[in-house]
Amino acid sequence: MRNRLELQEITRTFEDGGTQRTILNQLSLEVAEGELVAVMGPSGSGKSTFLSIAGALLEPTSGHVLLDGESIGGKSKQERSEIRLRKIGFIFQSANLIPYLKVEEQLMLVAMLAEMDKAKALKRVRELLDKIGLSHRRKAYPEKLSGGERQRVAIARALMNDPAVLFADEPTASLDAARGLDVVSMIAKQVKDQGASAVMVTHDDRVLQLCDRVLYLENGKLNRQA
Amino acid sequence: MYLAIREIRFSKARYTLIATIMVLVACLVLFVTGLAQGLAYDNAASIKNMAATHFVLEQHAEHRLTRSQLDQNQFEEAGLIVGIENAEPLGVRVTTVSPSVDSSKIDVTLLAVNPQGWLAPAITEGSPLSDQLIGHVLVDDKLSDVGVKLGTILVDQASGIRWTVNGFVKNESFSHTPAVFLNQQDWLSLQVQTAAHEGNESADHPSYNAIAIKTANENVQKLQAALSHTEVIKKSEAVSAIPGYKEEQGSLMMMIVFLFVISAFVLAVFFYVITLQKTSQFGILKAMGARTAYLVRSVALQVLILSISSLVISVLLVQLFEIVLPSSLPFQLGFTTLAITCLSFVIMSLAGSLFSVWKVARIDALDAIGRTAA
Repeated sequence: MRNRLELQEITRTFEDGGTQRTILNQLSLEVAEGELVAVMGPSGSGKSTFLSIAGALLEPTSGHVLLDGESIGGKSKQERSEIRLRKIGFIFQSANLIPYLKVEEQLMLVAMLAEMDKAKALKRVRELLDKIGLSHRRKAYPEKLSGGERQRVAIARALMNDPAVLFADEPTASLDAARGLDVVSMIAKQVKDQGASAVMVTHDDRVLQLCDRVLYLENGKLNRQA
Repeated sequence: MYLAIREIRFSKARYTLIATIMVLVACLVLFVTGLAQGLAYDNAASIKNMAATHFVLEQHAEHRLTRSQLDQNQFEEAGLIVGIENAEPLGVRVTTVSPSVDSSKIDVTLLAVNPQGWLAPAITEGSPLSDQLIGHVLVDDKLSDVGVKLGTILVDQASGIRWTVNGFVKNESFSHTPAVFLNQQDWLSLQVQTAAHEGNESADHPSYNAIAIKTANENVQKLQAALSHTEVIKKSEAVSAIPGYKEEQGSLMMMIVFLFVISAFVLAVFFYVITLQKTSQFGILKAMGARTAYLVRSVALQVLILSISSLVISVLLVQLFEIVLPSSLPFQLGFTTLAITCLSFVIMSLAGSLFSVWKVARIDALDAIGRTAA
């Protein structure tokens, strides 16, 4: 099993009113193919920073982020944007779909941005919508979808570019227990099917049973126990 | 492209509203531009129609044709320098005439030209000016609106001289009054009459108001040096010195400029507010890997779609308007002016979107993480 995501001794400090605050301290993590890792932690523990650095949105102060064994450090803004487009999938809180795009267009947008071949893209859109069980809703606008449906579309959108790593930022925050379980099991299943690595930041205990590993972010490090 | 068009499709009402404002503003811009052009032409048509490049005027005439006075010698000297075929004497006098058939009075501008020269106008009806036909004049066809026909006798109020209308010309006016063309013999006898009327010694030598010149710029200096007490001015300077011309064009120009600025600001505010509203959306798109350039292009494209489609509608509306307008209303919107106006409108619109573009460029993809609402 290869590790599609590796974090090596990531440190991130912020200048805060003259004092240095260390948010992440020599944090290391390896996520294997098909693995779904849950990251928990109280608010302010640095979950967002962790996700931003792992997701190529933010540069660490020191340390390396490896995607498929390749470091993404020292790249320009545009290059990081390109990496996110081709290697990373994001699932945000409360779906964050583009309100004026129909379900299938939400997915096609990713294909457009990545300049994917149109026929291939259409085929993948159909496949993904089939998998998440929303083929019948492909012409609907997000406002017509339920919360769970929206989050499923967000999952499909994140998988559209066949990413190495999938990041989910509290994907169940706005869902009830049953829908939350639905969504996370779908993420777990898709990650296995696609052979991607997945990291989910959450503080929803109910979904932990579906994750392969649960880690706790504390004092800038990831631990196995809270 | 993908995002821009789909967003307009989705938020039809919002974009229709802003497009309506744009159409109204663009219509007004085009209409005022057409009016400005029409008035400018109506005011100075005869001078604009002349093939001259420069005019020689008396030195202290402040560029005004009607104030200037030159004599035969100066005309001959000018002819020596630029070539006799490139200099034409011109007489201009604003006067009041009444057709002999009734007692109505019409303000006209008398233009005295050499019938064989290049200042002589093309006729639309009747027969051209000639040196042999004494007392025969050509008049602008606007005079036919007040009942002037071929053969009508016009009586000059100041001198009492009578002229017979022998032909019509089109689009000939000076200072918003219709032009009456006469030959040099009649011009001379008019001067003799007026001089006698005013008790001056009789004018044996004809005098003119200006000498129209066709020449390249380098000859102008030579001409200026050779002719004392004169001033050589460009045709455009002579046009803007026509009474009321500058003032009229200036105020219309100010309106047009304001309209351009207003349209740019309306668009700027609209897109800025929309962009602010979509900050988190742009953050998400950036996090997904959309380039800033792509998003900026998307905003610019929306502005282009809005401004170009409102322009198309406005041009059609204005053209419709032009058909309905009475012919007495001076309105002129040539293709060049139309193209320049449309282009400036599009450029101003794009300038208006710069503020939003700057905002979009500054949005950070990081905003997407840890947010609850789209």
